[in-house]
Order: sequence, then structure tokens, then C-alpha cells
Amino acid sequence: MADTTHLRRLYAGADFHAEQHIHPEPTSFVSRYVFSMDHKVIAKQFLWYGLAFLALGGTMAMMIRWQIAHPGTAFPVLGELLWPESGGVMPPQAYASFFTMHGTLMIFFAITPILIGAFGNLLIPLMIGARDMAFPTLNMLSFWTNVLAGTAMIVSFFVPMGAAAGGWQSYPTLSTLAGQPGAGQTLWIAGVFLTGSASIMGAVNYITTVVRLRAPGMGYFQMPLSVWGIWLTAILNALFVPVLAAGVLLLFLDRTFGSHFFLAGAAVTKGGGDPILYQHLFWIFGHPEVYILILPAWGIVSDLLSFFSRKPAFGYKATAISMSVITFLSMVVYGHHMFVVGMSPLLSQGFMTLTMLISIPSAVFFLNWLGTMWRGAIRFATPMLFSVGVVFVFGLGGLTGLHLGAISSDIYLHDSYFVVGHFHLTMAASVLLGAFAAIYFWFPKMFGKMMNETLGKWHFWLTIVPITVVFCGMLVVGYGGMQRRLYNTDAYAFLQHLHPVNVWVTRAALFLGASQFLFVVNFLSSLVAGKKASENPWEVGTLEWTVPSPPPHHNFDEIPLVVNGPHEFSHPEVKGKDWLAQNEPIRSETEPAARAAAGS
Amino acid sequence: MTAVAAARFPSTEESRRTSFVGMVMALASWSMMFGGLFFAYAILRLKAGTWPPDGVAPLPRLLPLANTLVLLFSSYVLHRGVRKEADARPGALLGALKATLALGSVFLVLQLAVWVPLWRSGFRIDSGIYGSIFYGLTVFHALHVLAGLAALLVLVPGARSGRLRSGAQSRVRVSAMFWHFVDAVWVVMFVAVYLL
Repeated sequence: MADTTHLRRLYAGADFHAEQHIHPEPTSFVSRYVFSMDHKVIAKQFLWYGLAFLALGGTMAMMIRWQIAHPGTAFPVLGELLWPESGGVMPPQAYASFFTMHGTLMIFFAITPILIGAFGNLLIPLMIGARDMAFPTLNMLSFWTNVLAGTAMIVSFFVPMGAAAGGWQSYPTLSTLAGQPGAGQTLWIAGVFLTGSASIMGAVNYITTVVRLRAPGMGYFQMPLSVWGIWLTAILNALFVPVLAAGVLLLFLDRTFGSHFFLAGAAVTKGGGDPILYQHLFWIFGHPEVYILILPAWGIVSDLLSFFSRKPAFGYKATAISMSVITFLSMVVYGHHMFVVGMSPLLSQGFMTLTMLISIPSAVFFLNWLGTMWRGAIRFATPMLFSVGVVFVFGLGGLTGLHLGAISSDIYLHDSYFVVGHFHLTMAASVLLGAFAAIYFWFPKMFGKMMNETLGKWHFWLTIVPITVVFCGMLVVGYGGMQRRLYNTDAYAFLQHLHPVNVWVTRAALFLGASQFLFVVNFLSSLVAGKKASENPWEVGTLEWTVPSPPPHHNFDEIPLVVNGPHEFSHPEVKGKDWLAQNEPIRSETEPAARAAAGS
Repeated sequence: MTAVAAARFPSTEESRRTSFVGMVMALASWSMMFGGLFFAYAILRLKAGTWPPDGVAPLPRLLPLANTLVLLFSSYVLHRGVRKEADARPGALLGALKATLALGSVFLVLQLAVWVPLWRSGFRIDSGIYGSIFYGLTVFHALHVLAGLAALLVLVPGARSGRLRSGAQSRVRVSAMFWHFVDAVWVVMFVAVYLL
């Protein structure tokens, strides 16, 4: 039970309600579905938008894999359509722009919209007991700025010389006019700048909403861990995306106005710039960015493991605090991406030490996950399966991170497929499985329909097996010495013995891609003909499950008074059910203060 | 954004606080962007053997110093105009807004007076890293001054009609915060680019 003295103090602040009026529902189509300011509608917009880019980025990944396993052969069907002049074979320039845009689209236009845009928007107000975001118009602008950014990215495929092809980091000199003379790279900069602005708008909104609009009784340590994860992500977004903005701004000046920030050597005559400078700016943002992507999934998984184990989250506070510590540490470790640029050894060792420190809070919440499941009455519904999947692949990804954080092994593994395998396990596989867990779990609340459990379980098993094979296979070939971004690995004698592994990785990748159709079918058919969802189909206690599915425009008829933590399961004093809503006082003489505060 | 919050929510003390928290976060974000630019400058400066690089004339200091004083004075004027006490004096806000708009415009004119002769003398954005930093940073800042002026300009009709009276109203307060932020960035920029 929450401490009730602060409840009464909070509830006494009657001004709180003055701020959250019930606004009439918009009536026109445009204000309701297009430029909507309702966080639940914006969440759906972000979900569709992110899923569309996920499909696009995923298809590009399939083609990249095809080129690695079968260089010089045409990708079935699509190859002939895209590159008729080469008989369907992907040309080197297209290969480079595909791996560049695959990364860019997946990070900024698939993962960010789904985990942060859709679930951040859906969950923050509903879970903290607010009627909407603090700044609804800003919320709407954030989505449409993102659409503008996505448009710039899509258009860049169709300009002369194609889309950006300097890697998703777009390091100079690859991304300067010498490396990328086409307009594609400039559009990439515009797209990143715009999507960054959209992220910042969202982040400012999220942070303010959590700080200001929590329902009475919802202290920070009564918040569900999903909100913790999204909130910490928002803090990192607000503080570090601007640094990327500064980096790409200077790159833009170099490309467009002829400045010399990142030009050096023969490219300049009077006082040169420094290409490495871009790497600093990029990774000051880039390392927090990987936590930006994973923190929402961590939070969501922490909640779901507790919900489906029918036990309070083990070490709830420790999980919240360790996620916060990681958030802080992620700000001061970026140098571990740059061990090979010739940094001072003292600095390298400092960055290595700080990086290794992240293992401690990571181990804390990882063990808390296991502790949550330990001896729980686990219900293996689809969201739970995907959550356990996250625990598994994130474990693999986290452990392989140690090899890359240590200078002595990183120098050999740098720029190899080991890196690709590692970061895909952490920020692709974990995040993707976390996103699926979230979709299966909150689909009933979003759309008022249940998804099909049987298809969901098939989808899980046909995803977890190939996804593990794909990214662990990448670890293997990377350890064997295979570099990233090679157009034709078979051209190198020392890599030819890795060919069979690459073929298997590609087969698993295509299998993984194909099994996502189960999800598409499930999602669409449930939307049309799914079983109607009850208010609380999963029998959990967080606030979004105390309102109808889908919730009314204003979410809560009355702002709830929170008296419990988010994971009040199997409470010995509760009879007849094993869960307790966050605003549901225990009818017991031992808690008179809570009843008084609730006015019951 | 905050203007909208103010429109949707009545201007209670609670919603003013919400706007304030949002603006603080937005400015923290903005500071990180300028922080990134200053970091870039610091790295390039540390790597350069001599500064300014050989063959480049040092930048003028007198005009930029005068400009710094103009901006600082504008912040002072605006601050006086949006204080709660100004609520009691009708027209105080309008006067402060007009004075700040005038001082901000003077700043931009003086900036042009710095840029144009330098550009004409052949010192341009593409003439080495010194020119890149000088024009990149100061022009980007000037764009923020323009944005700040626009944010203040849209308050003028409200101030004239008496609907807006002081910084007790969120719209006025956050616009003033942005203006002070732009001024603070300039002070750092003046010291870093012109003096050091």
C-alpha cells in the first residue's frame, strides 16, 4: 500500500482538477483522425506509420541478406522490378544505400514511432491517470513533423544518384560532397533534423506530462515501469537528439554552403576541420540513442513479466533506479564507439570503465526480471511469450556487449559483423519483440478487440527461433573476421569458408520475414472481426484497465485516486481475485487512512 | 505549444506551472544543441595550432561588444515589463515589448554591419575553418533572434488590447524565457568566438 499521508496532501490540491477539464470530442473527420490532438488517436497514427516503415525496412534487410548469401543473383521478384538494367542484381551503390537507409528507417521511423510514439502516447496519460498530454497541439505537431521527415527519406530514393549511402551514421568523408554528391544525403540530413525535432517535441511533452499530470497518489514510485522506461527515454531524447541536430546541421553547412567543419587534408587549404569531430557529435547522441530505443521495451517487459506471473515485480524500486542509473551512465560512455580513432589511451580506459559499470545496474534489473517470474503462477499468453523472448535475446545482446566495451577485444571486433549481431540483438531483436509484446497486450485497449491467441503463439515461435539464428549467426561470422558493409564477401578468400553460415543466416532472415505475415493477418483480422475486449481482459491493475476498451475521449470520467502500486497481485487480503487496481482500496480495517482519502 | 496549453486550459497557477516545466525542458534541449555547436568549436580550436589560423585577420570586437550590451539591455527591459508588479501599470507590457523588439532589431542590424564588411573583404564561410565557425555560429544564432522577435511580436496585439498584461500569463512568460535564453547564448558566443 502507498503511504497515505502524501495522498491526502496531493488530493487537497483541488487546483489539480482545474487543469484537466473534459473537452468535447472533436466532430469533423479532419480534427478527429488527421490533425487529432487526442493522445490515443495520435498513438494509433504512430503505430500504423511505424509498422509501415517496419515493413519497408524489413524488406530492405531481406535484400541486403540476399546479396550477402547469393552475390550476383537476382532477388526473387522484387530484384527484376527495381534493377532491370542489371538483370535484377542489386548494384553496389544500391547495396550501400540500402544498408544505410535500413538502419535510418528502422531506428527513426519504425522503432521510435512504435515504441515511443505509439506506446508513449497511449500509455503515459492512461497509466498516470491523466485526461491527455500536457500539450496536445505539440503532440499533433510532433506526429506531422515526423511524417514530413519520413517523406524526405522516401523522396530521397528517387532523386538522381539515389538515397544516402554513407552508413546510418553518415560519417564524413563518406557523407561529404566528395563521398555523396547526390541530393539523397542532403535529404537524409533534412529528414534526420526533422524527425529529431519531432522526437524533441514529443519528449518535452512526455516529460512535462509525467512531472505535472500524475493523478493524486501517483508518486514516481507508484508509476508502472512502462512509464518509467518511456519517461527516461524522453529525458535522453530531449537532451541528446539536439546534439545530433547540431552534428547534421554542420554537415549540412559543409555540403550546402561550403564550410569546412568536417573537411581535412587535401580537401582544404586554409585551416582544416576534422572528420572525427562528427563522430564525437554523432556518438554523444548515438550512445544515449541506443538506450532511447531499448528503455521503453525494458519498462514494458518489466510490467508484463509481473502481470503474467501474477506476482508483484521483484525489486520494483531497484528496477526503476537501475534504469535511471543506466540512463545517466549512457550519457558518459560514448567514447567506446571510437576506440579505434586514435583517442588518448587514458580517455579510452575511462570510457571502458564507465561502460563496464553499466553491467551492474543491467544485472540488477535482469535478475529482477528472473526474480519476478520465479515461482510465479505464470500465464503463457502471447504478450508473456514475447516478454520472455525479450529477456532471452536481450541477455545474449547484453553479454556480447562486454566484448565490445573492452578495448582489447573491441579493437579486433570493431566494424565486424560481431558488432552488427550485438546491436541487432539489443536494439532490434529485443525492441522488436518488446514492441510485439506491447501490441498484443494493449491492442484490446487501443482498438477494443482481442487479437487471436493461437496465431499469436505461432507468430512468437516462428519469430524467436529465426531471429536468434539470424543475429547469433552474425556474431559467428563477425568473430570469424567478416567486416560490415562488404558488397561481395565471397570475393575475399579469407571469408569464403564463412559462406555456409551466411547462407543459413539469410535463410533464417527470409523465414523470419515470412512469419511476420502471421502478425499482419492477425492484426488486420482482429481489427475487423476480433472478439470484443472487456474492460480488463488480462486482469491487471494499472489505471488504463480501469476504463472501457477503447477508453472514452477524456479517458477518465473522474481523475482516479491512486492507492496501490502498479503490480498489486495475489494480495493475501483480497478475496475472489488475485489482482487489485491501482485506485482500488483494500476493504480492510487496517487501512483506514486510505479509505478516508478515497472518500469511501 | 504553451500558447495552446493556455488556450485549452484556463490560466490557473497549475497550468502556468505546466507551461513553465515544458519550457524549461525545451530550453534544456535547445541548450544541448548550442552545446553541441560549442563543443565542435572547442574541438576544432584545440586541434588548431594557431588561432586565428595563419593569414586570417582577427575579428572586430568593438561592434560585437556594443551588440552584447544591446541584447543584455533588451533582456533587462523585457524582464521589467513582464514582472508581476507590471500587472498594475497598464501599458507596461506593451512598452516593454516594443522596446525589446526595437533593441532586437538593432542587434540584427549591427550584426549585418559586422558580417557585410568581413564578407566583402573576402572572409567567407568557405574560407577555412575560422570562417566556417564564425558564420555558422553567429548566423544560426541570429536566426534564433529572429524567432525570438517573432515570438514577442505575436504578443503585441494582446498587449495592446489589454488581454495580455504580464508574465503571470504563460504565453508572455515562455516567450520572455526564450528571449532571455537567446541572449544568454549570445553572451557565451561573444566570449567564445570574439574574445577567446
